[in-house]
Amino acid sequence: MTNSIEEIEFTDAILAIGTNTTENHPVIGSGVKRAVRQHGAKLIVIDPRKIGLVDYADIWLRPKPGTNVAVLNGLMNSIIDERLYAKEYVANRTEGFETMKETVAKYTPDHVEDITGVPADDLRIAARIYAEANSASILYAMGITQHSHGTDAVKSCANLSMLCGNVGVEGGGVNPLRGQNNVQGACDMGALPNVLPAYQPIANDDARTKFEKSWGVSLPAKPGLTIMEIMNAAHDGDLKGLYIMGENPMVSDPDLTHVEASLKNLDILVVQDIFLNETGQLADVVLPSACFAEKNGTFSNTERRVQRIRKAVDAPGEAKADWQIISELATKMNYAMSYSSAKEIMDEINGLAPSYAGITYERIEEEGIQWPCPSTDHPGTRYLHKGKFSRGLGLFSAIDYRPSDELPDNEYPFILTTGRVLYHFHTATMTRRSEGLNERYPESLAEINSRDAEKLKIKEGDFITVTSRRGSLKVKASVVDTPPEGTIFMNFHFSEAAVNLLTNPALDPIGKIPEYKVCAVKIEAA
Amino acid sequence: MGNKISLTIDGKKIEASSGQTILEIAKENGIHIPTLCYYPNTKPAGACRVCVVEIGTAGKLEASCCTPVSPGMVVQTNTEKVMNARRMVAELLWSSGNHNCLQCEKNGDCELQDLIYELGIEKPRFEIDLPGYEIEDTNSMIQRDLNKCILCGRCIRVCNEIQVHEVLDFSMRGSHTKVSPAFDADYIDSECVFCGACVDACPVGALTFKQARFKGRPWEMKKVRTTCPYCGVGCQMDLNVSDGKVVKVTTNMDYGKPNHGMLCSKGRFGMNFIDNSDRLKTPLIRMDGELKAASWEEAYGYIAEKFASIKEKDGPDSIAGLSSARCTNEENYLFQKFMRAVIGTNNIDHCARL
Amino acid sequence: MNEETEERVSELANLYPSRKSALMPALEIAQRKNNNFLSNEDIKEVAKIVGVPNSRAFGVTTYYTMYNTKPVGKYHLQVDTNIPGFLSGAYEIVEHLKKKLGIEVGGTTGDGLFTLSSVEDLGSCGTCPVVQVNDTYYENLTIEKVDELVESLKSGKMPEPDTFSNFGTECNILLKNRGISDATDITVYKKGGGYEALKKTFKMQPSEIVDMVKGSMIRGRGGAGFPAGVKWGFLPKDNSRPVYLICNADEGEPGTFKDRQIMQYDPHLMIEGIAISAYAIGAEKAFIYIRGEFRWIADILENAIRQAKKDGQLNHVDIVVHRGAGSYVCGEETALIESIEGKRGNPRVKPPFPANVGLYGSPTIVNNVETLSCVPFIVEKGVQEFKKIGTEGNFGPKLYGVSGHVNKPGVYEYPLGTSLKVILETAGGVKGNLKAVIVGGLSVPILKADEIGDLKMDYDSCAKAGTMLGSGGIMVINDTMSIPELALRTINFYAHECCGQCVPGREGSKTIKVLLGKLTSGEGTIENIDTILDTCDTIKGLTLCPTGDAFAMPIEAMVAKFRGEFEDLVKRG
Repeated sequence: MTNSIEEIEFTDAILAIGTNTTENHPVIGSGVKRAVRQHGAKLIVIDPRKIGLVDYADIWLRPKPGTNVAVLNGLMNSIIDERLYAKEYVANRTEGFETMKETVAKYTPDHVEDITGVPADDLRIAARIYAEANSASILYAMGITQHSHGTDAVKSCANLSMLCGNVGVEGGGVNPLRGQNNVQGACDMGALPNVLPAYQPIANDDARTKFEKSWGVSLPAKPGLTIMEIMNAAHDGDLKGLYIMGENPMVSDPDLTHVEASLKNLDILVVQDIFLNETGQLADVVLPSACFAEKNGTFSNTERRVQRIRKAVDAPGEAKADWQIISELATKMNYAMSYSSAKEIMDEINGLAPSYAGITYERIEEEGIQWPCPSTDHPGTRYLHKGKFSRGLGLFSAIDYRPSDELPDNEYPFILTTGRVLYHFHTATMTRRSEGLNERYPESLAEINSRDAEKLKIKEGDFITVTSRRGSLKVKASVVDTPPEGTIFMNFHFSEAAVNLLTNPALDPIGKIPEYKVCAVKIEAA
Repeated sequence: MGNKISLTIDGKKIEASSGQTILEIAKENGIHIPTLCYYPNTKPAGACRVCVVEIGTAGKLEASCCTPVSPGMVVQTNTEKVMNARRMVAELLWSSGNHNCLQCEKNGDCELQDLIYELGIEKPRFEIDLPGYEIEDTNSMIQRDLNKCILCGRCIRVCNEIQVHEVLDFSMRGSHTKVSPAFDADYIDSECVFCGACVDACPVGALTFKQARFKGRPWEMKKVRTTCPYCGVGCQMDLNVSDGKVVKVTTNMDYGKPNHGMLCSKGRFGMNFIDNSDRLKTPLIRMDGELKAASWEEAYGYIAEKFASIKEKDGPDSIAGLSSARCTNEENYLFQKFMRAVIGTNNIDHCARL
Repeated sequence: MNEETEERVSELANLYPSRKSALMPALEIAQRKNNNFLSNEDIKEVAKIVGVPNSRAFGVTTYYTMYNTKPVGKYHLQVDTNIPGFLSGAYEIVEHLKKKLGIEVGGTTGDGLFTLSSVEDLGSCGTCPVVQVNDTYYENLTIEKVDELVESLKSGKMPEPDTFSNFGTECNILLKNRGISDATDITVYKKGGGYEALKKTFKMQPSEIVDMVKGSMIRGRGGAGFPAGVKWGFLPKDNSRPVYLICNADEGEPGTFKDRQIMQYDPHLMIEGIAISAYAIGAEKAFIYIRGEFRWIADILENAIRQAKKDGQLNHVDIVVHRGAGSYVCGEETALIESIEGKRGNPRVKPPFPANVGLYGSPTIVNNVETLSCVPFIVEKGVQEFKKIGTEGNFGPKLYGVSGHVNKPGVYEYPLGTSLKVILETAGGVKGNLKAVIVGGLSVPILKADEIGDLKMDYDSCAKAGTMLGSGGIMVINDTMSIPELALRTINFYAHECCGQCVPGREGSKTIKVLLGKLTSGEGTIENIDTILDTCDTIKGLTLCPTGDAFAMPIEAMVAKFRGEFEDLVKRG
């Protein structure tokens, strides 16, 4: 997030696109609702599904799945057309406006209506709400990123925000809501093929030298493979060994048939986890790790706030904290790692990652600190790009709408879109072991629009077969009006109805993110 | 908050900001006024009348939680009139419900119990009249015993004003008033999303965490502050540990950002996995196609040897690592350090995109 | 619910600044559509249309007594058994109906034709006993008339109600049109000089009208007797929010049935008063909050408003009639405001006061029907003429409702400060031997016969006599009535009506009810009597709203002044 969670409650307008906030980030969802109910904020919801926030929205735009970029361009077209944009801000703080303007000129509200199904007038109303607010916050999540054009949509959000002068201001910003407790931290710490901790490029000699000096080794300069490329390399036999810590690609990755073949093709698969999950069952070595309640450390939340976790109970059996396991394995492999506590590791991070330099255990004992925090007397950073963008001028990108990779046709007439539900998390290894959550949501349900259900003669609770070009599964139907006609929604929590048998592994060319939100399926009564 | 004004509380001259309530300024100055329905960050209800104080010489009683200070105000917090009123309120509450502490989860952490004790009430002057509600026992997360409910409305305010789930409200009226989801449904049959905020808000034993029932008394519970392991919000919460086990999750508004004492159902009730019997307890190595228990030494040896031989034969880029958005910063840091410094490859990624 | 209903609800919603305010009207519509019953499905539908959470809609539905969450018979017979009814034989009628229909109170006959209920004060104190059948009041009932009524209903016919009631006026201001037929019609009203005051108003500055009302020193006729002009003066000076005027026509204090005389027989008088007052305080929207049971009176008002609008009298203000749904507490101004906002009628904590933060958070003035109906006279005839009526500090005419043990119960208009004796004489004199009088509605301390002396009926004299003028609802009690029984019936009313928000209100009223129940059934102790007195004393001034005082004061007075009767019950038991 460029801005902070608590700013959302006090901003003038909120544009929530591709985020089912009340289910996936419920505490932020409540903040949005408070903003609306108690502080008079305007709320624009853009989502194909009738999600919980729709009841609180001033206006709800319901685009066809996969058409976010067209909607965002349409909003900008309307804002520019009605001259509601922040002219001074655009002139002084950004570049690339004219090129962007030329591109969005094609996206008149009427044209956008043709592409997305959003009524042109609604688009105009939403554009006015967003543009006329003193400060307006854009919230987004996987609903815009898990597409083959995910990066485009993210850039379009940035365009829209800059167009109205909302980047670098209190209550504004472009705010991705992170789905996992420490995605932010994993990225910050350089668990990425192209960057070292704090996003220092691996290809940058100075950065590499700094780490080489500290670590006492020489480092490869060539960026590594991304997760999808890793799977492909394993599939092709180019990759022999894989070490997986705390992940379950056998449920979470697209095209599970392909993943299974890839993992089976390895010489060695090491899986380190708290449960023997679907991926662990294919492993050659499984290492038992401690869960969050059994160790010390830090997580970085979606607003860049670094916060402590603390050991409350002992790990079961011989299980150890992941950092201990890594240290011991490294030592075994003749690279001595002799950390005696998580804090010692953070001390090392402080010295190597500039944005974390001032974030010490002592300082975050009571309240976490938001990076960048370059020194121990720095208070941390509530919102980014204040006064000036990190890169100098904010850069507009000219982005055209591209349709999703796989669209419905006669054979596969429905769009399948996927996501989470309130009571479960990701591959549900944790939540399905919680009695109460299971009581509330015991089995996978495929949400189907009541009109579609009527046509297909499917009733609430009937089993249906959902088939894509990649696979087929049986699942119970829930007949509701949440998804639009022609679209079904499934969650990916239940391995017995693993929706990623169906999803399309088409990747976004830059973000390498799979297109989980749109693929074509057919539905039959089972 | 506006101008500085001065007033007198219990004979003590005090500076306050206009807009503050009497209760707020008293608290700031270490003057104790008991409360029941008061709950931070919600609109003061002025309903329990426990926090009444006497204002001016006319002897007017006002609820300090919702009475703003005014210049020259003379406040007395413990006159005979005030104590009489508090005592009667406490006795009325005592006699209107089943306030039996013997098997109550809140024994030792109950605001009504504290109040009665503070006021030194031996027994209520009124006959005890049990409401006779059935204890709601239809879900495994929250137990509702309305026989203990004092109708302070804190659960309703937190549900509507803070969480904005808008599930709870008062229904009926007069002494038949009760707190309920729509249509007086049980929680499990209502629109409740089980965030558990109502339980944290309950000053008495009407709402309790069912899985923690009989698992430890409040004073035996060790509260360990930590960060929720689910989504990216990073909610601060307390793991309540008793007998080496996490028995419930509570929150604390004082922890402030980012969640100000709020959680969702996952953070609140998604912790059973911690001591689940399926947890991995030893390393496993595949032998003859089956995963078999092994020692750490064996496991490390196996991996080290295998990785070394691949590295030698096919080069370090034939090995890759997937780190985890679920693990700590320190672990992610160490994992990428391991891949880069020990294995010698940049083939490292995690599931940020999934 | 069908689309037509949804449309009607939306139309209604448009009358209010907030859609949520349509919750109560919408529930009423839904209930009518479903044979006078609201199912959970109905409530859910309404909640959805109006845009409130189900829990809130359910909370509101179960708060107000006129919403039936259980099915009722085709004819819902609701007998008013409150004090005036009690004094004039309502319980005999209940017993008779129980026997005749073969059901208990709360029950429905097997054929689904009749449901029998005992209800609280219906505002028919002068025409008791009264039975409300669905929406219609049948007043001045006797056992014989009840039989006729039931027989007629069995044959499927709602008989024409008897509308006779006594009245009299010495001032000729508030009841001047009471005896004129068709006075509800605007042409008749205008023929008598109606809307002249409004015409005069428009030639003056709003502040001049405010000054006149201040100068008249008129005190609020709802019960508290607070000067209306002073109340208007509390409106904030630099204010950008809309200002609202609310006419409080909730008339629910037992013993009170005066406002309906104006609304039913001279609605334009009140509307003219509202129109002038709205102009004075700058309100472009005014609400009349009328108790739900007065359905036909609400229709009269709506009709009159339509006429006035058509006649061009209301170009400056939009008047909306909002019907309550069965709640005494909604007569309290902040509870009333909550109710208009579509909520449970729970009083708000003060401050802030409505004049600053009222309806929808805006400055709001709430005045009683009678108060506003005096305004045209003040404006037209001038402050001096108004102050010629009444006594020093208690100026103007007052409607006194006399009920209970008198020969001609009714509403009589006299100058403030008129002797109680004179009023009682006009009301045909006391039936039997006078034992006690409650002079200002049920919530004021009772006076023993020997305390009355030459009591002048004005605010200050009543206060001096240890009671209050209140609403001017005079209930006369002769020596056939047991005071402990009267006290029990009184606390039953307050316990039933208490909103339930605050502890002393909710549990205090219930506890006193239990104690009085024990005493009257002969199971009480002397200690119980002291506990009641002690509890009442502590409750006074302690509750969130004035309802605590409203029951603590009369109960305390009844027990203290007639302690012997209570002690006798202990001895006998």
